[in-house]
Amino acid sequence: MQEQATFTPPPLYAERMQRLQTAIACGTPDRVPVSLVMDSFAARTMGLKLSEFVSSVDVAAQAMLGTLEKLGDVDSIQFATYAPDVLGLLWLAPVKVPGRELPDDTQWQLDEQVRMQQEDYGRILDMGWSAWLGEYIGKYLGAAVTAAQALAEANPRWVPEYVKRGYVVLSPLTVDHPFEHLCGARTVKEFTLDLYRIPEKVQAVMDLIMVEKREQARQLVRSFGPMGYWVGSWRTAPEFLAPKLWDRFVWPYMKELVEIVVEEGGTPILHYDANWDREIPRLKELPPRRCVLALDSKTDIFRAKKILAGHMCILGDVPPGLLTVGTVDEVRAYCRRLLSEVGPDGYIMAMGCAIPSDAKFENVKAMVDSVHEV
Amino acid sequence: MAEMTDLAQALGDLDEAMAVALVEEKLARGLEPLAILQELQLGMNLVGERFESGEYYLSELIYGADIFQKASAPLQELLQGQAQEKLGTLVLGTVKNDIHDFGKNIVATLMRANGIEVVDLGVDVDWAAFVQAIKEHQPQLVGMSCLLTTAFDAMKETIQAIEAAGLRDKVTILVGGGPVDENTREYVGADRYCRTAQDGVSAAKQVLGVG
Repeated sequence: MQEQATFTPPPLYAERMQRLQTAIACGTPDRVPVSLVMDSFAARTMGLKLSEFVSSVDVAAQAMLGTLEKLGDVDSIQFATYAPDVLGLLWLAPVKVPGRELPDDTQWQLDEQVRMQQEDYGRILDMGWSAWLGEYIGKYLGAAVTAAQALAEANPRWVPEYVKRGYVVLSPLTVDHPFEHLCGARTVKEFTLDLYRIPEKVQAVMDLIMVEKREQARQLVRSFGPMGYWVGSWRTAPEFLAPKLWDRFVWPYMKELVEIVVEEGGTPILHYDANWDREIPRLKELPPRRCVLALDSKTDIFRAKKILAGHMCILGDVPPGLLTVGTVDEVRAYCRRLLSEVGPDGYIMAMGCAIPSDAKFENVKAMVDSVHEV
Repeated sequence: MAEMTDLAQALGDLDEAMAVALVEEKLARGLEPLAILQELQLGMNLVGERFESGEYYLSELIYGADIFQKASAPLQELLQGQAQEKLGTLVLGTVKNDIHDFGKNIVATLMRANGIEVVDLGVDVDWAAFVQAIKEHQPQLVGMSCLLTTAFDAMKETIQAIEAAGLRDKVTILVGGGPVDENTREYVGADRYCRTAQDGVSAAKQVLGVG
């Protein structure tokens, strides 16, 4: 990874970037770095209603930056700002947002329904992915496009603000797996049944999507340079899929997208939610010391370390539930175990997935501070 | 344990065409619809056992449950109005402030396929609806699901409301969903944490004395 600003960043930024780069290369930094994902937690911390937080990407960025300052010595944040509607472009489903479809202070949620019908596979093959997607977005995802535009416009303004204060914005951009799109548009149940009942058609559509995806991924990394890129997994987790389905519909596409990001000089952040235990050894097929495996607490991170030591940096995985209902002592104890068994080499301290909105501030602070206590 | 049959084996092996054909054939031969349904339930047991042993994954549970629904559809029509033996009743819902329904739906399908009657309250269900449903249906089991940590308090409030209504000792409360774990179970005051839908079936059967 390289520096993200055209001006000369402060020494603190360089120090933190060096720490992260060493960890990503599976080395042992001067101390374990910390990298956070937060959105609604920032709203709570800064005393905003969620409806206020989602009202503008600038309000969100201000709250996230303010929360980092309150937490103390945090090396990095993964996104500079946030707009929940953008999730719609990943899972092709609109998001219900506080202050719009939901009460002011209610957590946003994906409104997943069967919006893509089985006959749409044929239409995609006839029309092409972009044309079909354009039609679909026009019908269901106007707010998602507006959010994506707002984020694209806000990132170049806000990333330097973080850098000036010494924070590394680790991975503001994403490269998405075609499985996630189709699964969201069909719903988990219907898409799973499609994988059994019309596998050839699904695969043909995924192959068609990949023709565009691989080129988009390449251009994205070329345009934005050697930073981190989320190549995430949610519904593609091995825990959800029989090995024969996973080997056919998940891994070949995932591996190729990761390799493209690496070839172009980016750092894939493998934000892998749910349980990956079964396939952790497969990650050794990915380029060594170039990716970050971000686990959400459902995978056995301690076993993952034993398998991937020296091959892949690991980030995570203080359980969201522990941050919410646990005590400071429990958080400290868990972090100590992470630091000694998953660190200190090739490890980045972090929450599992993202800090939940109702996490106790003192628990998050205990996680952040833990890297100084060893 | 009932004896494995060709139909149960077909469902257990996720052989959809065979399972559907065997139901038709057995009906044509004049077998009792209830007996055929019990064979399908045996097949779902096999799917569940294979899931628990790690041979099957969630995708196989979903597919198995769908084959069960499809193959049993002609039986359900014939069985309408007939008293069917049920192991017990589960009142189920995704708690207040959470609209995720997938986990809840798979639990409902698996429970039904295992002979447990399910009163599905839907999503974003407030405590009063749970209390009302318990009074009305007198279940042995209550299942609560959520995908958001922000819904933990809704689970806790619901369980407190069940207690305040004097119903707590009449039901076993199962909780599950993405961020839920043993700590959450303790926090909300539930009886059992179910990591997977199949865990829920196993817990339910234990509570009902058939597991």
